[in-house]
Order: sequence, then structure tokens, then C-alpha cells
Amino acid sequence: MNATIDRDSIKFSDAKLIVGLEVHVQLKTDSKLFCGCSTKFGSDPNTQTCPVCTGMPGTLPVLNQKALALSIKTGLALNCEIARYTKWDRKNYFYPDLPKGYQISQFDKPVCGEGFVEVKVPKSDQPSRKIRLERAHLEEDAGKSIHDESGKGGVSRIDLNRTGTPLLEIVTKPNIRSAEEAKAFLTELKQILEYIAVSDCNMQEGSLRCDANVNLHFEIDGETIATPIVEIKNLNSFRAAERAITHESKRQFKQWKKSGESIHDAPKQTRGWDDSAQCTTPQREKEESADYRYFPDPDLIAVIITDEEIETAKNSLGELPASLRTTLQSEYGLNEYDSAVIVSAGRKMVDYFRALADGSGKDGKPNGKMASNWVGQEIMRYLNEHNATIEDYPVSAETLADLLSRIVGGEVDQTRGKEVLAEMLSSGCDVQSAFDKLGIVKVDSGDLDALCQQLIDENPAVIEEIKGGKLKAVGSLIGKARQINPNVNPGVLREAILKIIGI
Amino acid sequence: MSQSHTSAQKIASLARIELTDEESAKVQSEFDSILEYIHQLDEVEIPDGTEPFFGATESTNAVREDAVVPSFDREEILKNAPDSDGEFYRVPPVL
Amino acid sequence: MSVLDNSIEQLAQQVSSGDVSAAQCVDASIAQIRAQNDSLNVMISDCEDAARERAASIDAKIAAGENAGPLAGVPIAIKDGICTAGHVTTAGSKMLENFAPPYDATIVQRLNDAGAICIGKANLDEFAMGSSTENSFFGVTKNPWSTECVAGGSSGGSAAAVASGIAPASIGSDTGGSIRQPASFCGITGIKPTYGRVSRFGLIAFASSLDQIGPMARSAKDCAILMNVLSGHDVKDSTSARNDVPDFAADCEQDIKRLRLGICRQHFEEGLNEEVKASVEEAIKALESLGAETVEIDLPHTKHAVATYYVVAPCEASSNLSRFDGVRYTSREPAEKLIDMYSQTRKVNFGEEVIRRILLGTYSLSSGYDHELYKKASQVRRLIKNDYDAAFEKVDVIVGPTVPTTAFKIGQHAQDPLAMYLADIYTASANLAGVPGISLPCGFSSDGMPIGLQLQSNMFWESTLLKAAHQYQTQTDWHSKRPQS
Ligand SMILES: [Zn+2]
Repeated sequence: MNATIDRDSIKFSDAKLIVGLEVHVQLKTDSKLFCGCSTKFGSDPNTQTCPVCTGMPGTLPVLNQKALALSIKTGLALNCEIARYTKWDRKNYFYPDLPKGYQISQFDKPVCGEGFVEVKVPKSDQPSRKIRLERAHLEEDAGKSIHDESGKGGVSRIDLNRTGTPLLEIVTKPNIRSAEEAKAFLTELKQILEYIAVSDCNMQEGSLRCDANVNLHFEIDGETIATPIVEIKNLNSFRAAERAITHESKRQFKQWKKSGESIHDAPKQTRGWDDSAQCTTPQREKEESADYRYFPDPDLIAVIITDEEIETAKNSLGELPASLRTTLQSEYGLNEYDSAVIVSAGRKMVDYFRALADGSGKDGKPNGKMASNWVGQEIMRYLNEHNATIEDYPVSAETLADLLSRIVGGEVDQTRGKEVLAEMLSSGCDVQSAFDKLGIVKVDSGDLDALCQQLIDENPAVIEEIKGGKLKAVGSLIGKARQINPNVNPGVLREAILKIIGI
Repeated sequence: MSQSHTSAQKIASLARIELTDEESAKVQSEFDSILEYIHQLDEVEIPDGTEPFFGATESTNAVREDAVVPSFDREEILKNAPDSDGEFYRVPPVL
Repeated sequence: MSVLDNSIEQLAQQVSSGDVSAAQCVDASIAQIRAQNDSLNVMISDCEDAARERAASIDAKIAAGENAGPLAGVPIAIKDGICTAGHVTTAGSKMLENFAPPYDATIVQRLNDAGAICIGKANLDEFAMGSSTENSFFGVTKNPWSTECVAGGSSGGSAAAVASGIAPASIGSDTGGSIRQPASFCGITGIKPTYGRVSRFGLIAFASSLDQIGPMARSAKDCAILMNVLSGHDVKDSTSARNDVPDFAADCEQDIKRLRLGICRQHFEEGLNEEVKASVEEAIKALESLGAETVEIDLPHTKHAVATYYVVAPCEASSNLSRFDGVRYTSREPAEKLIDMYSQTRKVNFGEEVIRRILLGTYSLSSGYDHELYKKASQVRRLIKNDYDAAFEKVDVIVGPTVPTTAFKIGQHAQDPLAMYLADIYTASANLAGVPGISLPCGFSSDGMPIGLQLQSNMFWESTLLKAAHQYQTQTDWHSKRPQS
């Protein structure tokens, strides 16, 4: 039937991109999923192993309770249904870094069922969309194989330190519609995982790994034509995921134009993302198509998850990023972009921001916009320059709130305020000491009046101009005033001069 | 059951066991008689709602605390390996 | 008369009181291995040096007035499918010819803590797959009652070790009858406990949902004393039961008046040897004379137990044995490429029956073939369990033969794996349902081979089995008969 379709008239823009993601998240436990070995990254090869995780005969797995608890927590944060009955199955295949010849995973009773993540593509007009999740299941990681790259066919070396580390595999439905959306999903997912502290999400260390299933749909004469599904492996950054999906969609389009091959003509293929060449390349097909011979692991027993456990997990979640962004907009008056910047910097940054905005507010109203500017400019710049996190920032939210309050109260202007902050950062002192060091004192009303009178007396021409309606001319007086007394607040001075000359 | 005639060699490769043609022919004929016997199960009437019984225990929730237990000495772990360099297990090239 | 001829209770008391030293027990046991092993091939290896060291420390403890445990000085043979730290544990396979595990099985630890001494590792069918111990890489174990006959299997070495006087007790494992059938063939008593009663940690798995470790000895009372030591929850085994453990030995002393004995018609139909049938019927009369009552019961699905078993067990086995891949602790065949290393290593180091079952299991689990087979078998398994549940509403114990025949000749079933599988016909259903079963001697055939009586009870009712067996043994002397050596 496909042969009758006129492919020549179909353009790339006619293709609907279909993407599903599989994300492997390493859960933050101290010990492995089924034995007591440490999960620490970067130790000497095979020093974090025992008879259980090296699959020695006669050994048996015992489930790490925390791994299960973290899975439940994650499921709740991703709006998943949590299973009341969950069990483990064996996925059988041979590989030298898979010691038992099977991976303990979950087949038909995963701990987390369907859920969703609400995703907004940044800098786009599209409203946010729910990316649907199929499931999330708890499984053990494999070890690491180090192959001989010389091409001379040398031995492969096996390190089993990572074997048995708990992984939560999060699987989306194929309802991601663009590479940008895939990236936005991954970014949001990572943020959620970091907020609920279930994973380090460190892509370099492999604690967050992603595969993408990609194909194209064409609506032709009321019929949907789909290209063969390709699974792209080795996506080691979100940018790589975005680029790989873009590249793969174009490649599939070209391929389809050439061959017309549809999903019915070819099995799922596996391709790898080559970051240096910026393209996907075919991976060697396995000897036989995957036949994992799943069956329930008879060494483990099922787990019943109670309402109480789910309630406890819910209570431990805290406010999630999406909700925090809304709060920052509705209660602190921030715009979408500013709220996203602060929330993406982590829960501690949000806490800092709120303390700063609340502490420098007036009449019970938080000082949101100003706090956001200071956080977004001064603090973020410092943290970037020092490669630090907000926990390392030397000035507490309370201290900085004191400074902002004084700026609001007219004791000091923004420009001098930044000098005060710089002084506090370099010497670690409080606001008042910084004021003292910089010679900042509040100009009292007597001094202010005297200064105004002096300016009026010494600059009759300027005063005439002002009286003639050229209010801008006040600016030149302010410049002169600050030479006389650097502490004078330009706004206050302006008001006072205008008042004295009766305008 | 007669499917086994075409399958012994494939099954053997899935199980990573090499079989000569002669051996696979023998396996196939044994399979036929064993599978014929096993397929008496086809005649068993299964009442609706009969849950499969996978394990001889149906108790639940055997878990351990997330506590690190010291790992074994690497020497002890690698001691039984047919090939290791003292740090890694070594295997012939995968490809 | 050897010190080892005493009951375990007596022997442990003699050692604890200093009348007999643990060293003497080890001497007697090692002497018996030397005398018997060449002809019977009971043990794959002995633990002489370690046993002597253990004996010395037990004797020192006793000399210092300390309690050396309820099994003080008792030599025990352990099936070589159970891990012993630092001592080669082969599972009867060339694959593990040189494997010395760096850990003890939980039951080995428990036995040590109770003062027992592991005297050696007993022969078995490779990876416990077999009913005759003919499938051992280390050669067939011969039946102490007739060297032309098999000792049964897969715990043939453990059964023969007791029957030949090498040790007063041994440890076996039972997946479809592997304790009870060799116990029957060798004229000793052996119990397969309830699934989960005894920790499986350190037992090299054949079929995890069916495997269960249990004791083998000359009497039910001896088994009960061992059960006291072996039983109980183990945090290392998720499937181990958290149920309370009774004092099995003390419970043996209760009478069996009004005990309801279930007689299942299916166990007395075609295929059952006439002499076996007669002895079993005689034994039922003896139990009745002790006050037990008989009730007819029906286990309609047990006739499918062997077929079910030969789906479930190979499926689990095919997965359990994937770890033997030439990478971490097994023998390895050299090859240029990984895939060839795998398939050569597994071909050369696994025996024929093991390969047959791995392939059968791979076939049954594989998506392309008999996809429904595993599920169907697991449903039939449920029906078998339901049969037991219904039966135990009416009776306390199910009584019948352990095996349809006495020990068969070595090589008799070599060409016909299916005929061999049918030796499990009365025993496999207990493993599928998880219930306990005991085999005890109840007579001899006209050619002098032992006949076994099987008793089965509901989950965690081993006390009832041991009590009935013990009471029977107070009235009969079949269990005291010894082969001529
Ligand atoms: Zn470990």
C-alpha cells in the first residue's frame, strides 16, 4: 500500500515527530539495592563488591528499603500511581558485566504506574503540556566493561563496583513532540529529582542516563504512516539528547523519502549518538533479537505498600519546582523568567530568595522584584565566579535583607549599596560595619537643608532654569551635592531642593 | 511440540551452549518426548481466576535497612576468577 | 562398635560430658571414609584438617567447662551443593571443580555454632539435577545396600554417608524429592522441611522456589534434633520464614492418638511396585495401632506434579545457571571471542543432564515458543497447592510411598531421561506446594533393598511429621538395620 504513496510531495514539515524517553536515575542510597556494598562513585575497581553483587553461587538478594522508599517518593513527585503490590522479575541476558546472567528488574508490577510531568518549552509561545509517563520501575545496575579501543582485539576488563546500584527507570509514553520539548522534559525531570533529593543527577558520573525512542508519523490520505522506531543510546547530556533527536528525525525523513520503509518493514533499531561527529550511527545488531525471558524472581518476595507509607512519602516531598514558580509569581510578583531562574538554582536558592524578599519587605509585602534583581545579578554572578552554591554564599539572607531595607528606606542608594555588599563579601562584616568603613552615614534633615541652601545660593542660574520649568537641571545640583557629601541620597535631595524653591 | 525440531540450535545459542549438529539432533528427540509428556498440562482445566503460584512462599516485605556493610577484599573476590589482573576481571574481546 | 553408632542425642551428650572426645568422633568418621569411599564414592572431598582443628577446639571448650552446643562433636556430611568457606564446593560439576567460596552457607554456620563438625562434602547429581547421583562429574555414588544400585539422588552422597556409617547425620537438599528419595533408597530417615523453614543462603540454587535444605539421619529423632539447629529466619534469605520454631525433638515424644492420616488413592495406583505397596500398607497399620485414624483423600492434580515440575524447575534452573559463564569463578575454555568463550565454557563444563534442563528451561521461558507453558504450569501449581489445602482441612498427615520402587540399577535409566523423572512422582508435589515431607524406612524388598514411607503435612507442621515418624520408630526397627559392609 505504501508503494502507492507519492512521497515526493511530502515535506519535512509534514512529519510529526514522535519521541519517547527512557531515563535511568541512580537513587541516592548508601548501599546497593540487594547487598550492603557501598554505592560510592570512583573507587578502585572491584573494591566495592561482595559474593552477592558478584553473583557467586548460593548468594541471595535482600531488598534495600530506602531504594524502595525513594522510588515511591519519585513516583509521587511525578504524579504516578503507586502500586500497592510490587514484585521483582529477572531479565535474562549474557554480558560480562552482568554477573548473574540476569538483571533483577520489574516486569508487570512496577512500583510506579502512569504519571505525568508538566513541561513548558522555554522561550516559546506554546502553553505548558503534560508529558505522560508509562511507568517507573526499580532495578539493579550492571557493572562497567572497559573494552580495548586499540582495535587490536585486546581483552575487555570488568569492574563490578557499580553492579547492583539501585536504578529507577522512568519511561515516558511516546508523546514528546519535539527535540526542544524532550530537552525541556529532561530539564524539568532533573529539577524535580534534585528538589526531592532522590538522586545526584550527575550525568558525568552516570547517575542520570537517557535513551530516546524516535520515529516520524505522516498523515497521508487519512492514514498514518510511521517510520521504523530507532532507539538512540549514549545520550550523556540534555543538549546531546536535543541534538540527537533533531538529527535522527532528519535522517529518518531522508531515509523514508529514499526507501519508503515503514514501521512494518523493519524491527526497532539501535543507534548511538556520536557527540564529536554530531550524528547518530548504527549500533551492531545483537546475535538474536532480544528475548529476555522475564519471569518472577523466586529469590525475592513481593512488597505490599501501605497507605501510611505513601502518606509519609508525600509529606516528605516539600514544595515542587512547578508549584514554587507559581508561588514566586503570585506572591512575590516575579515574571515567568525570573521565577524560573531562581527555582532552577535549587531549593536552597528559593529559600534564600524568600528570606531576602520577606526580610526586606514593607508593610507585610515582600520586596520580590528587588530581591530577584539582587539574586539574579549580584548573587548569581558571585556564585558563578566562585563556582559555589548558595549554601557557600558568605552573606546571609538576613544580612542582605538589612541592606536592601536600608536602600528602600533611603539610607543608601543602590550604587553605594553594591559597594556595601562588596565590602561585606570581602571582609565578612555586617551592614553597619560596612557603612562605617565606607563612611556612609545617614544625612540628617538639618544637614540636608543646609546643603540645599548652599546649592541654591551657589547656583542661581541653575535655579532659574528649574523655576523656568527645566526640572532636569536638578541633576547637575545632585552631582555637585555628592562631591560635597557622598552619603547624600539623590532622590531625597531632589525632593528637598524642589520643596525649598517651591515647585 | 514439533517446533522443537527447528529450535534446539536457536535455544542453545540463547543459552550460550554450543551444540554440534549431532548433539542438537539428540536434544531435539529427547525434547520431543519430554515435551509430549509435559503437554499433558494442556488438558488440565484451569478455573477462571486461578492465579499462577510462582513461589512456595507468599509472604511479603522482606527488606533491609540502607546500611553499608564492608565489602570483601578484592583479592578474595578475584581469587576464583579464571583470568584477572589483580584489579579487573578479564574476558576475551566482546566484539 | 563405633562411637558413631550412638544416636545423635547420646553422642552429643557423651562428647559434652567428656566420655568421648570430639577428636575420637572425627577419627571414627575419617576412618569410615577411608574404608568406604573407594567402593561407594560417597564423598567428593573430606574436610579432615579443618575437622580435626574444630574437634580440638570443641574438646578444649569442654575441658574448660563450657557448653559446646547440642551437636557437640557430631560429624556431619554436607551435600557439596552447599557452600563451605575456603573449602572447595563443586555442586558435583566440572564447572566448579576449583571453586572455594569465601563464605559459609547459613546452615553451615548454624551447625558450627551448635558444635557439629563438617566431615566432608557429599556427592550429588550435578547442580542437584537428577534422581540417582549418576549425573555427578565426580562419578556415581553406590548404594551401601548393593553396589550395583544407585543411592538415589540428588542427595545420594548424603544418604549413603549416613547408611554407610561415615556420619550419623548429613545435610541434603530437596527440590523434587532429592532428600526423601535417596533416604528411601538407602534405608534412612530424611526430611524436606516447609519451604522457607531453613535458610537457603549458601545453597547453590537449582530451582529457587522449590529448593529446600534438610537433615538426613538414621532416625526421626536425630532429624528433629538437627531441625532444631537448622530452622529459623535468616536475614540473608528473603524467602526464609519468620514463623516461630518449635522444639521438634521435644515434640517427638507426644503420642499420635487420633492423628488423622490421609490416604491418597493416586499414590497406590499403577506403577507402584507390589512389595513397596505391601510394606507401606503394613506401616499404615502400625500407625493405626498407635492410635492414628485413616481417612481417604483426593489430590486430583498431583498426577500432573511431574509435568509441572519439569516446566518450573528447568525454567528457574536455566536462569540460575546463567552465572556460570567463565568470567568470575568457574572453569573457562579459551576462545578468541567472548561469545565463543561462553558457549565453549558452558558446553564443556556442564554435564548432559544439566544442559538438557537449561535448554528445556530456556525453551519454556523464551517468547517465541511455548510462551504459555510457564504460566500454565504455575497455574497448575496453584491447583496442586489448593488440593493440599483442601486435604489438610480433613487430615493432619498424608501417608504413602516415597518412591514407586526400591533403588534401581546403576545405568538402568541412562537412555531414558523421562523414566528417571518419574522417580519423583510422589515427592515433587510437596516442593511445588511448599509443604514438608519426610521419608523413613518401612521394610525391605525380597532382594534386600530398603523401602521408604513418606509422610507429608501442612506448612510448618514438621513437628507432626517428626512425631509420627518417631512414634513409628519406637514400634519398629527398620531404621536400625545396617547394610553389611
Ligand atoms: Zn555487594
